[in-house]
Amino acid sequence: MKRGLYRKMGWSNIRKNYRFFVPRITSEAGLLACFYISLTLAFDDRLSQVKGGTYIPTFMLIGTAVLAILSAVLMFYTNSFLMKQRRAEFGVYNILGMEKKHVGKVLFHESFLSSIISILGGLGLGVLFYKLCSLLICKLLKSKIIVGFYFITPKTLALAGAFFILLDILTFIYNRIVISRMKPVEMLKSRSAGEKEPTVKWLLLLVGIAALGAGYFISITTKSPLQALELFFVAVVLVIIGTYCIFVTGTTFVLKLLKKNERYYYNKKHMPSVSGLLFRMKQNAVGLASIAILATGVLVMISTTVSLYSGLQGTLDKNYPQDLYFYAQYENTDGVNTSVPAEELERMARKAADDVGVKIESVENNDYLSVSYYKEGNRLYTKNEVENTLSKTEIMNGIVDCMFITEASYTALTGETLSLGRYELGVSMVSSPTGNSKDADMSGELVIHGKTYKIAENIGLYPVKTQILANGFPVMGFVVADDEAMKEIFEAQKAGYGKYASEMTNRICVSFVDREKACKVGDELTSEINSELNAYLDSIGYGDASAGYSIDTYWEAREEVTGMYGTLLFLGILLGAVCLFATVLIIYYKQISEGYEDRDRFQIMEKIGMTTSEIKKTINSQVLLVFFLPLIVAGIHIVFAYPMLSRMLRVLALYKPTLFLTCSLISYAVFAVVYILIYLGTSRTYYKIIK
Amino acid sequence: MEILKVNDLKKTYTTRFGGNQVQALKGVSFSVDAGEYVAIMGESGSGKTTLLNILAALDKPTSGSVFLDGKQLSNVGEDELAKFRRDNLGFVFQEFNLLDTFSIKDNILLPLVLGGIGLNEMKKRLEKVAYELGISDILSKFPYEVSGGQKQRAAAARALITNPKLVLADEPTGALDSRSSSELLRVFSNINKQGQTILMVTHSTDAASNADRVLFIRDGVVFHQIFRGDSTNEELYKKISDTLTMLRTAGDTGASIKTPGNCAGNEGLGVRGQE
Repeated sequence: MKRGLYRKMGWSNIRKNYRFFVPRITSEAGLLACFYISLTLAFDDRLSQVKGGTYIPTFMLIGTAVLAILSAVLMFYTNSFLMKQRRAEFGVYNILGMEKKHVGKVLFHESFLSSIISILGGLGLGVLFYKLCSLLICKLLKSKIIVGFYFITPKTLALAGAFFILLDILTFIYNRIVISRMKPVEMLKSRSAGEKEPTVKWLLLLVGIAALGAGYFISITTKSPLQALELFFVAVVLVIIGTYCIFVTGTTFVLKLLKKNERYYYNKKHMPSVSGLLFRMKQNAVGLASIAILATGVLVMISTTVSLYSGLQGTLDKNYPQDLYFYAQYENTDGVNTSVPAEELERMARKAADDVGVKIESVENNDYLSVSYYKEGNRLYTKNEVENTLSKTEIMNGIVDCMFITEASYTALTGETLSLGRYELGVSMVSSPTGNSKDADMSGELVIHGKTYKIAENIGLYPVKTQILANGFPVMGFVVADDEAMKEIFEAQKAGYGKYASEMTNRICVSFVDREKACKVGDELTSEINSELNAYLDSIGYGDASAGYSIDTYWEAREEVTGMYGTLLFLGILLGAVCLFATVLIIYYKQISEGYEDRDRFQIMEKIGMTTSEIKKTINSQVLLVFFLPLIVAGIHIVFAYPMLSRMLRVLALYKPTLFLTCSLISYAVFAVVYILIYLGTSRTYYKIIK
Repeated sequence: MEILKVNDLKKTYTTRFGGNQVQALKGVSFSVDAGEYVAIMGESGSGKTTLLNILAALDKPTSGSVFLDGKQLSNVGEDELAKFRRDNLGFVFQEFNLLDTFSIKDNILLPLVLGGIGLNEMKKRLEKVAYELGISDILSKFPYEVSGGQKQRAAAARALITNPKLVLADEPTGALDSRSSSELLRVFSNINKQGQTILMVTHSTDAASNADRVLFIRDGVVFHQIFRGDSTNEELYKKISDTLTMLRTAGDTGASIKTPGNCAGNEGLGVRGQE
């Protein structure tokens, strides 16, 4: 019977404190649903086998990890808020004669009930929306939709549930400890008693300004896209630190300045708001800074992923002016790599096209050179040069595969001109297996065969695709000024490597009359070319293309890029939604906690002779400022992040800067509208409390 | 000259579901002359808070009227009420009701700021009132940094700075220790001597013994009143406590004192002060 009593009390507490519990339960359920969806997507074999679905497992796993951290932080935030608001309530229990262990029991039943509702609700939502999300991701990947009903995946269901149960248990333990440490008198005391006027912490302010300034500076001054990628997280961390510091103490600084100005301050429009804000900022600076950062996060994620995805076709068209790129090499009797002549390649491509029934519009030749170097700092050495001084492993660690094309070929392939001087280079990090962009120092000068070249241009997407060189070493692509420059490098490496020197690669670029039609029969076409090549090699007496070959096609790239950007976009939407949700939650809790605190304050003002409309005006100006400050700050952050982001997007091959600008503006506008709606919704609760 | 006139004031509260009606005031009439210092005494539930709320225009009577300086309160529009209150009334509350986000100075200035008074005028008045109340040295402090007595003097300063026609004090010594209480009461007497009209609601015989006249409220009517006349505070104190004792025993036996429902003016009083 006694146990029944505690359960009853727990349940009635949840109902009585619906203002706190409803958002807590919905937020937990929502986070759990997102977590479950993300986790299940990561482990869904059917999805990863879909066209372009290769990125799904990795990306969604990263997303799941981010969600796990976000969920934990948010759950603890809502919990600590809840406990703060309910301190007096627990105090009354204590004074009414309940021992702390009894309060603990009531708390247990509360937590148990709210946890069960949230977890069942969350898993239900997750299962319900999983199918929708998998359909969405298929749609984004432009792949066929997987039919069939496979709603429930027990493993991820159990995993997601277990994670949130763990979070609930941890919060309960935390609360239990908090309660056993509280003294009843302290619990009863009002929250704001004896609060001091905040002071400006100069050191913190300086650190904040320095950090924010440094973050912005990095964003504006970093010119090379790869450096941007590398420094981006440094800049993010700096800006986060700066935002927190400035919110905590910068706002106090400004308000104190306003207060010092007596003519401004002693005015009925300003005095209640300024002093109210001064105290309010102290309690809310951290919350507001979090909102600003989350908002910036939402905006960055959405604007970059949307612009990548919507710029996808443009990116592909730019990088694949033709539809099929084909070359083949074999090792001749002297052990020298020999290219299959272009005419032969063309013949094979035409034959294959005829066989599968697509028409070729044009075939172009284009040559490039690929050489392996040992790279140290800004110097490239041939292997022979360092063989005697360095150990084999040292050399292996420094190997870079380099490709060279002339600017004329680059222009033919991409349509872009670089206007390189004789000793100038265009450089691109084609692939870096370690993911460490330090492999390439992409600015300043580069010394090749004793000749110094100036790095004039960083190229996002190198037009020569490579499979032969993708053997685990980083790959760099270079553009040289002209045939003369190419010849110089060619001769130099020939001298350096002797027998093992590289030959120019002959490559053909094929365009089809009907691109879409070619895409449909793409796989057939490549296998047809493949067998033609084998037949040719057989006919000249070399069993297979031992030195390698590559058929690089528009359709494979499209599948790849769509898969990558589509998955990124989905992740952006999911994480963006969760961040937005977190923002709403923080705002909501802020509004009600402030509502309760402001109520007393405004009652006094009313007694002293403030009219209701004056009180409303004061509340409005306070709430508006507090509310829209994060939105404004997020806007400023975005403005400063823009140069860096647009450079980073160049690495991901988004060339149209206007597209990113449009996406940023649109996402900011949409976010602002959503934010205002949230404001209108939550401020109603606030006014209700005040009244 | 009458500054406040209360005429047959009635207030009936209806409980939420319309069932029971509670008569908090059953017809209260009295008046206060300009420059007078009046105390209203009564036990909890006697209706004195209701009376004060109506005088402060925070609540409306069921019937009857209140005239402040010849102006009927019920004729003041809803929108003007706040301004009317600000310009004509000064409040001192038991719980000080100082805003914890304002310094003492800003708390005192708040009514003037709300009234849109110029900065120089504000400073002049602040200096004067702070000097009178002996709080000049704590102006820059915050409410949580000063003692209860200082807080209450700051609250009094806030009430006085608008030069109100009437200061309404609701249990001003209720939350103070005896020393702070007597300091505050001395302040009240001083400002009264300078011509300030004060109406104070109190439990405390000590506080009431500072007034010129003491009204006793019981069960929603003015039950009795005492004039100071030439008595000293101590003499008045004695009279008040005698009256309270008498009222209590009378109330308990329910016999010996005739209950006058209406004590306006000086007529019909059971006990009179020496005049």
